[in-house]
Amino acid sequence: MRIKFKLVYGLVWLFLFASCAQKQRADRIPLENFFKNPKKSAFQLSPDGKYVSFLQPYKNHMNVYVQHVEGGKVTRISSETNYNISYHCWGNNDEIIYMKNDPDKGPFLYVVNKEGEKFRQVFSEGQLRLKFINPSRVIDNQVLLALNKRDSTFFDAYRLDIASGNLQLAEKNPGNISQWIADEDGKLKLAIASDGNTETLLYRERESLAFKPVVSYSFKSKIAPIGFSNRKDHTIYALSNYKRDKMALVEIDCISGKEKQVIFTHDSVDVSEAGYSPLTHQLLFAGYETSRKKKHFLNDSTRRVFEHLERLLPQTQIQITSTDLTEQKCIVKTFTDVSSGAYYLYDLHAKKLTELSKVNSSLPENQMSEMRHISYKTFDSLTINGYLTIPKGVEAKNLPVIVLPHGGPSSRASWGFNSEVQFFANRGYAVFQPNFRGSKGYGKEFWIAGFQKWGTDIQRDITAGVQWLIQEGIADKKRIAIYGTGFGGYCAMNGLCFEPELYRCGASQSGFVNLFTYIKAVPPYYKPVLRMYYEMVGNPEEQIDYLRAVSPVFHTDKISDPVFISQDLKNPRANLSETNQFVKELKNRKVPITYVVRQHDQRTQDEQMEFYSQLETFFSDNLKK
Amino acid sequence: MRKARFQYRHNSALNVIFLLLIGVSFVVAMFLAHRLTEKYVENEFELRKIDVLEETLKPYTEFFQNRVPEISFYQGYLDSSSAIKYVDTVFRKYPFVKKIEFYDTEVSNHRVAGAFRINHFSMAPQAIYDYTRSPTADSIVYNKRKPNSSGSFWNMDEFNNMAAKFSLYVQSIEEGKPLQSADFISIFYHVTHNRITFMNIPREEDMHTYKDLMLKEQEKSPVFQQDIVSFILDPEKLNIRNTHRELYQYIHITPIVYESLNTDPDLLNTELPLTGAFADYKLHFSSSRNHIIREIYHRLVPVALAIVMIYTVLLFIAYLIYRNLNINKKMYSLQYDFINNLTHEFKTPVSVIKIAGNNIKSAKELSDRERFHYGKILDEEADKLNDLMNKLLSFTQIENQSIHIKKERINIPQFIQNLVDSYQIKLPDFKIEYSTRGVTTFRTDPVLLSSIFQNLMDNANKYSLPGQKSLNILVFTEKGNIVFKFRDRGIGIPGNETENVFKKFYRIQSQYNQQGSVGLGLAFCKELINLMNGTISVKSKVGEGSEFTVVLPFEL
Repeated sequence: MRIKFKLVYGLVWLFLFASCAQKQRADRIPLENFFKNPKKSAFQLSPDGKYVSFLQPYKNHMNVYVQHVEGGKVTRISSETNYNISYHCWGNNDEIIYMKNDPDKGPFLYVVNKEGEKFRQVFSEGQLRLKFINPSRVIDNQVLLALNKRDSTFFDAYRLDIASGNLQLAEKNPGNISQWIADEDGKLKLAIASDGNTETLLYRERESLAFKPVVSYSFKSKIAPIGFSNRKDHTIYALSNYKRDKMALVEIDCISGKEKQVIFTHDSVDVSEAGYSPLTHQLLFAGYETSRKKKHFLNDSTRRVFEHLERLLPQTQIQITSTDLTEQKCIVKTFTDVSSGAYYLYDLHAKKLTELSKVNSSLPENQMSEMRHISYKTFDSLTINGYLTIPKGVEAKNLPVIVLPHGGPSSRASWGFNSEVQFFANRGYAVFQPNFRGSKGYGKEFWIAGFQKWGTDIQRDITAGVQWLIQEGIADKKRIAIYGTGFGGYCAMNGLCFEPELYRCGASQSGFVNLFTYIKAVPPYYKPVLRMYYEMVGNPEEQIDYLRAVSPVFHTDKISDPVFISQDLKNPRANLSETNQFVKELKNRKVPITYVVRQHDQRTQDEQMEFYSQLETFFSDNLKK
Repeated sequence: MRKARFQYRHNSALNVIFLLLIGVSFVVAMFLAHRLTEKYVENEFELRKIDVLEETLKPYTEFFQNRVPEISFYQGYLDSSSAIKYVDTVFRKYPFVKKIEFYDTEVSNHRVAGAFRINHFSMAPQAIYDYTRSPTADSIVYNKRKPNSSGSFWNMDEFNNMAAKFSLYVQSIEEGKPLQSADFISIFYHVTHNRITFMNIPREEDMHTYKDLMLKEQEKSPVFQQDIVSFILDPEKLNIRNTHRELYQYIHITPIVYESLNTDPDLLNTELPLTGAFADYKLHFSSSRNHIIREIYHRLVPVALAIVMIYTVLLFIAYLIYRNLNINKKMYSLQYDFINNLTHEFKTPVSVIKIAGNNIKSAKELSDRERFHYGKILDEEADKLNDLMNKLLSFTQIENQSIHIKKERINIPQFIQNLVDSYQIKLPDFKIEYSTRGVTTFRTDPVLLSSIFQNLMDNANKYSLPGQKSLNILVFTEKGNIVFKFRDRGIGIPGNETENVFKKFYRIQSQYNQQGSVGLGLAFCKELINLMNGTISVKSKVGEGSEFTVVLPFEL
């Protein structure tokens, strides 16, 4: 009797514990839910603010749909069943332009009205590349396009009349213009010339005049025009780190080339974005990213708008992605680290927020893992920032870790929703994303510190981060994997070569294995670009030893941990036959290796799922034991 | 016919046939084993050379598959100083590389003196370096070739060859059609007699650029870098790894046309051509016949041992079967004897009883003396029968282990005196003496002990000549045991029979043994003594007498 009672008592406790544990831990969510495409995306407001257009799959391909802002009937206005529509925008209050990219025949532009009628083709010039100069604004039915029609190596500016389909050369490219910039009226007034190594900002007052250089700077600096000032003539707002370390929001006089005023700057990070109103020609805010994205408001009404939005959507990051012409209605996109967010329609006048669509409704917020900002000191006492995602409901102790170095290396990991990170976290791995030296966003000096330090100082920064995780007791030092794409994959292979003790296994997606090949991808006639690469990566003629020492392809004999390699059939940065040789040698040495070659240039969703499912198996085989 | 089935059968012929068969099959087995091993070794001699070839060419294969294509990884960026580092690692690791020629090549559409040119495509070595091993230390001697007066170089066959192949290939590639890496081996490698020439494989994009250079009228192009490296190999330095010393005595690398002139008929030869850059050479293997024979025996020994083992086991089992059969046969004849004896034994008292009975029946009247006489005879013979039956019964009981020992303390002199007294009455001419040294009391089962005593005393009486019937009993203790010695002066037992006297139904064939004995006495004694955890043994001499020694564990 007593034993029976004890047994029941024990069972009750067991049950309680089990149910508690279950409550804390996240459920295992199917892989497909993480990587499915959003149902509705690319919301655009019509210039009069009465209609909303968006992309949505129809017969498995993206098509354009239109709906009244008040809701009601949704009209599909395109019927593409062979190719995805990659781009669309409103040509006027009634018509929508959309682009279809046929890989064999080149890009096509079509115009159709919001009822799906009066369909016509307005552009078809064969195999070439097309860029929109003013991506979301069509003035007087004139679309500004940059096309490499005349010469495949550079882009001229064209005007396309969507009413007549008439294509007119607007400005010839002398061969060095890398970017055309138009003002709000669609006038080409700014351009950036580049020889790959030095950039020059060009300006002209009117289209009838010739461009004149404003300022020249090496590729290490950057001036990104934001818009024209409404107060002073010939003055632009720009983000610039010319002659300073951190990117700042400044005012530049295009006649003298002088920087007139520093509008906003941050001590520790770059100003990464600026809000600008094409209607009032005013700066609205300066955005920067410390541990997460923040805004410094430069306009009171904008501040009030955002304050109201933040009240309505607490604890989220808010972006305005599209506005109508009067800037009275806008499309708002939100996200957090645990939510891929949603699209809303916001009426500034009525202060009314309407949800349009969730980005991914199959990932419940309460099952996602929080992304934490962390920082540590690396080997030379430099502070490295990064992000750490601990699986939900798990104590941050002795966990298997996936180190996820970002690509680039001129990019960064940011706070926000990342399906890949959330997928790994859901499978029980902590995910570590260090912003090692060479990452963008922490100033010019920090970025340049990564030059020619591939595989050396950059790798040591990653290693220091891993060691920090071990020291803090977060990582189980026997279960650490390294995985990345592009440069991240290169870091992973390097880690396996030179720190086999630290990592249990490594995976690379389109990672480079040979820096000679990486540099060789720049054609030799782009001498200035080549110089830039030599400066960033290394000069293969003079630093052959360094490049050899940090290229994993020369060090297969040092790899003993399991390897996962995924490679695209066509990737100029990573020669497939070279990767084949790399894999062959690993195979000969009986290193456990999973090798996936992908046939398609554009990854289909199925291939993506297949890739992650194989990666999941690879990690669980190697880290869960 | 049925009758024949129960006849006694003779085994001797069967035994002989069996042994003969075993012997013949053994010889055949040995012979076959030898033949097979011989064939096997001869086969091995032909087959194992592939292993040797593989082992010998292993460094070459590794060199060809890993180190040669490594040049491609440099993407044409090799120059004289970086090449020397590469050359150094190659020289260190691969002794068969004798010399390396490095053509630092430039590809452009410029008109260059001494260039290999097709349309606008020209390919010319910007510099040529020859790297050789220094004869003294492990350092590298390198030499930059000087161009001749017209600006070109001498001895550029390898370069020209490669340039011709490559430019033809460039001409043949088509836009939009992926390059087949299977073609690369024939384009970028040039493997000839003792030489491998390799050019770094350009990326696909570069090949298309080269094609444009060749076929399109263009401005002066930039200069593209290609590396052509030619390795001159020395087959003599190839390290022969004889992984099968037991098969091959001598292995040499010889030119492919080489024929051995050794006419020794006892020298076995075989050969295998080398591959790759060494295709003009072969491995020549030879061994003397003695060497092979030694190997044959070497391999035969374990096989032969195994065969011998199997046959030994077989014979041993056959022997065991034979022995069991023999014992069974003896048992059978013993039991036969026993029945004979027993019948005889029973017959005497039964016939005496029958005569006495007849006499009593036929007599008109019996005098007191006669009645007493017949009564005594009947009584005595009935006792005899009873005795016989008891013996038989108790013996069976012991054999079935149904006797239980009931121990009690006995006084030894008193126990013996009682027995002696009863014998003195029965057999006045049987002299029994006894002495006990140091022991008076002893715990045992008196019934069993007196049984042993009676048997041994009976035997002493039975197997002694009249007038010499005497028995000396000696009792003493020794190492925790009590020892009883029964010494008589009887006829004795032949030495070869002393073991057998304790066997059931066994009786020594002698004139003293004709009557009154079943051959159970000593066997019965031994069973009893075994039951009491003791031993019995006998020492005897024919004509002088026997001495039985009974040793029992001494308990107080």
